[in-house]
Formats: sequence, structure tokens, C-alpha cells
Amino acid sequence: MKDNRNHIARHYTKWAYIFIIPFVVAFLLFNFYPLVSTFYYAFCDLKHAGNTDPKFLPSIGLPLFKNFAEVFNSTSFKDALRNTFVFWIGATIPEWILAFWLAAMVTDRRLKIKGRWLFKTSFILPQLIASSTAAGTILATISSVIGFIYVAAMIDGFGYTDKDFEFFFSVKFLVIVVYMFMHFGITFIYAVAGITGIPVEVFEAAEMDGADRWKTFFHITVPCMKPIMFFITVISVIDGLAMVEVPSWFGLFDTSRKALTLMQYLQNQAFMGSYIYDRASAASVVLLGLTAVFAGILYFIFLWDKDEAKARKLRKKELKALKKAA
Amino acid sequence: MSDSTMTNTMLRKNDLKLKIAVYVVSIAIVLLILLPFVLMMAENVLHPETYTMDSTGRLTKIVYNNVSVINSFKNSMLVTVGATFLNVYFSSLTAYAITAYEWKLKTVFSNLITAFMMLPNTIALIGFYQLTWKFHLINNLMMLILPAVATPLTVFFMRMYLQATFSMSIVESGRLDGASEFRIFNQIVLPMLKPAMATQIIFAFVSNWYNTFVPSIILIDDKAKTLALTPSPEWLLVLPPIIVYLICSRFIVEGVALGSVKT
Repeated sequence: MKDNRNHIARHYTKWAYIFIIPFVVAFLLFNFYPLVSTFYYAFCDLKHAGNTDPKFLPSIGLPLFKNFAEVFNSTSFKDALRNTFVFWIGATIPEWILAFWLAAMVTDRRLKIKGRWLFKTSFILPQLIASSTAAGTILATISSVIGFIYVAAMIDGFGYTDKDFEFFFSVKFLVIVVYMFMHFGITFIYAVAGITGIPVEVFEAAEMDGADRWKTFFHITVPCMKPIMFFITVISVIDGLAMVEVPSWFGLFDTSRKALTLMQYLQNQAFMGSYIYDRASAASVVLLGLTAVFAGILYFIFLWDKDEAKARKLRKKELKALKKAA
Repeated sequence: MSDSTMTNTMLRKNDLKLKIAVYVVSIAIVLLILLPFVLMMAENVLHPETYTMDSTGRLTKIVYNNVSVINSFKNSMLVTVGATFLNVYFSSLTAYAITAYEWKLKTVFSNLITAFMMLPNTIALIGFYQLTWKFHLINNLMMLILPAVATPLTVFFMRMYLQATFSMSIVESGRLDGASEFRIFNQIVLPMLKPAMATQIIFAFVSNWYNTFVPSIILIDDKAKTLALTPSPEWLLVLPPIIVYLICSRFIVEGVALGSVKT
């Protein structure tokens, strides 16, 4: 009987392999091959538009890490690296606080907030109209609101001068605010989906035990939505590291390139008239390394299951012992 | 008795304060977003020919050339609809293969997907660009559509959703009725995935529609350019994603637990 079962299972297993063929083929062609070749170009000489003939650096008598040295020595790369992290962290922290707070409130059974549909649609709208002009109008509104607050603060005579607000009028601050606005809706929608996925009984039990909102959120909501938290974090990292659109809208006003991000640096090196593919590849590899570090940290925070790893080790030991005994 | 009523009214009062705070913040954000948007749209529909600042800071009048706008609209539609369909369909298929079957490389494969989903695809941009040049695929829209078949991020999301809602007994009943595995996926599993698919369709559509990063590099010919790369009326650019959102959001049954099939 058991053999028969196994036989049937094997009969169906072949379909799993058939189903993943399109994914694997497309992945190897369009993701993996370009990734590996980018890695290779980082150690090559590859310049000028439309050049498809990379020359391995040692073969033409140049040091192997020439491109990497150039990348690390360039001040614009360092600026881009710093800016990317400042923008990403600066935008993500307030974005998450706002998005998760609103998501928790909107889904709270005791509060019974109405108009959820309107809020959701409006919050996602900046994402839906992610084009320069529309974002520009939103930006104009936000900056006039900010300006109004400054003026009000100054009239009120708190002793503030223009200099105290310098940072808030800078391109960097505007990038952070606009990016937060553009991205906030995604986090909010996934957070609402995650919270509503938690069975109501769990919240009811917490309520019975007298847990307040703060406790309920950190001890019940967050642990229960771990997978979707991981997903939200990954999206935040990917979008943050690949940030290019928002900063480039400000390119016009940012003549001294104070708001350059990594992705813009890459674009400038490879495509905006420079065509220095090799250096851009080296920069990509650096970016890849950074992403890998982040990915590792995220993996251990969200997906690493301590008990399961222990159990797996135990199982392996037992298997070995069994084999020895046999 | 009186004690509990007291705490109850206190709770209510606190709740009321919180409720007001939530409404104030939400409505402020809604106004901040909706007001400029509505004004812009009204302005845009009333005066479709607008002025814009060119790179030297001079005001230039944009005149929309109808032929190029229609052509790039078609290109955008082809790329976006094609890429979105391939992305969502094949991601669901891959996620199903991971969830429903027991096979040798399953854990390795799903761990690889989790690893690769964390890499932004722009990281391999130079390699992708060189590949396009080498095989003379510049200006070929397929280079923007076909890569969508492999989107680890969507596979991860679909797998997450399947793991919460999927039960093998549905598949087994399909097998008993003599349906092929492929048919089971198309007719039983896909409809179950509707809420998750709706979410992913919205995000895939939006990101493909407004994508300028890769298209600006590999689409050189004016005839091959997408709408986001062409000077075009703003309302035409923003309308399709909004329509797609309004259609799809109706299918997003909130919460993973609500998505399961009632037996």
C-alpha cells in the first residue's frame, strides 16, 4: 500500500518540474546571465557606446581591481552611497510608523473606522500616478504646507531664523518627504492585508485578557504577520536601494548633485553620455554586496527558525546513528 | 458593577480621542493627495497643451503629436499587459509547484527564490544591456515583456498566500475526476488565487507602465518608445493604472484567511 502511494506521488512529482521550467529558463536568461556577466565586466575594460567586446583587465596589463579602485576613489560614489542610505532610512522610519499606525487603527474592531475604501484608494494614488507632473503637483502642495508651517513658526516668535530651517528647504529633505509620500500607500495596503489575515479570535482573546492596543500590536499583530512583514521589509529595501525616480525629478534644481543616489550614479556612468560600462559594473557589484548583507540580516530576523534548525540538526544526528547501527 | 462601568466610559472617552486623531490624520493625507490631483486633472483636461520647463529652464510649449502618442500608447499597452500577465500567471504556476508537490530540490529552489527576490533587478542592468546589444534586440519590446516570466518577488507572495489557503484535498478530488494537473491548476487553483493575483496585477501594471529606467536604455527608436518616454497628455498617462486599480481592488478580499474556499 505504501509503495503504491509513493509510486503515485512520484507520478505527479514530474509535474512540479514541468511547471517550473518557464520560470527557470526566463530566470537564467534574463536575470542570472546578466548578473554573472555584470560581475565579469567589473573586472574588464569596457567603454564607449555600443561596445560589446569586454577585455579582461590582467590580459591587457592593468590591475584586476582597477574599476573597483576607481569607484571607491570617486567622491560622487561616496556621496551617492551616503545619500541612498540617508534617503532610505530617513523616509522609511516615518513611513512605517505612519503606515502601521494607520493600518492598525483602521482595522481596529473597537474603533470601527469608516471610509476605509476612500483612505486606501487615496493613499495608493501617488503610486498610481507616479509620473513627474503629478508628483510635482503633490510636491508643490507639500512644500507650500511646509512653508506655511515655517512662516507660522517664525511669526510666533519662537526665536527661529531662516538658518534653522535650512535643512528643511534642502533638496535632500524634499526627496525624503516625497519618497515617503509615494511609498507610504504600498506599506499601508500590505499592512492592512496582513492584519486582516489574522484570525479575529486571537484579538478577542487578547481583549479578554485586558491587553491594551500597544501590547496587542507588538505582542500579537506583529508576530502573527511575520511573513508579510518580511515581504514589506524586502520591498522597502529593494525600492530604497534602487531609488532613482524621485531624486531625478529634483535633478533640475540640484545642480551641485547633492541628492545623487546609487542608481543615478550607475545610470550616469553607463548611459548618460559617459558609457563607462566597466566602472558601472563594479558599482553594481558593490551594490550587490550591500544588498546581500541586508538580505542576510533580514533573513535571520524574519525567517530563521531557531527551533527548526535545532530539530534539523538532531534529525541528522539520529540518521547518522541509525546508519552506523545498520 | 459601578467600577466596571467607570472603566468602560473611560475607555470610550479614550477611544473617541483616538478615533478623532485617526480621522484627522487620514483626512489630512487624503486632502493633501486628492486636492492637487483633482486640480491637475481638471487643468489638464481643460488645457491639454501645456507649457513645460526644458533643460535650459526656458518655458516651452508642448505640442502633442497625435501619431506618436497613439503609437507609444499601443507600445505601452503591449508591454504592460504582456509583462503583467506573464508575471502573475507564471509566478502562480511556480508557487503552486513549490506548494503542492513533494520533490527533491523543492527546499533548495524555494530558498533560492527567497534569496533572489531580495536583489533589485536593476543590479544586473549592465549585463542586461550588453545582452540586448549583443543579440541585436535593441528596440525590441519583447525584451521588456519576456523577463517578467521570472519574478521571484511575486512567486514569494503567491507562495505565502497559497500556503495559508491551499488544501491538497481539492487537488485530489480534481485528480479523481480525471482532470490533468495542468487543468487542475488553471481551473481550480487559479480562481482560488484571485485576491492575491489582484494585488500583484495592480503593482505589476503600475511598475511596468511607469518604468522608464530600462526602457530608456534599450528603446532608442521613436517608434518603439513607450508612453512614459514620450511627451504625452498627463490624463492619458495616469488613467490606465487608475482604471486597473479600481477594477482589481474589488477582487482583493482582505486578508489571507478570508481567501480560502468554503467547503
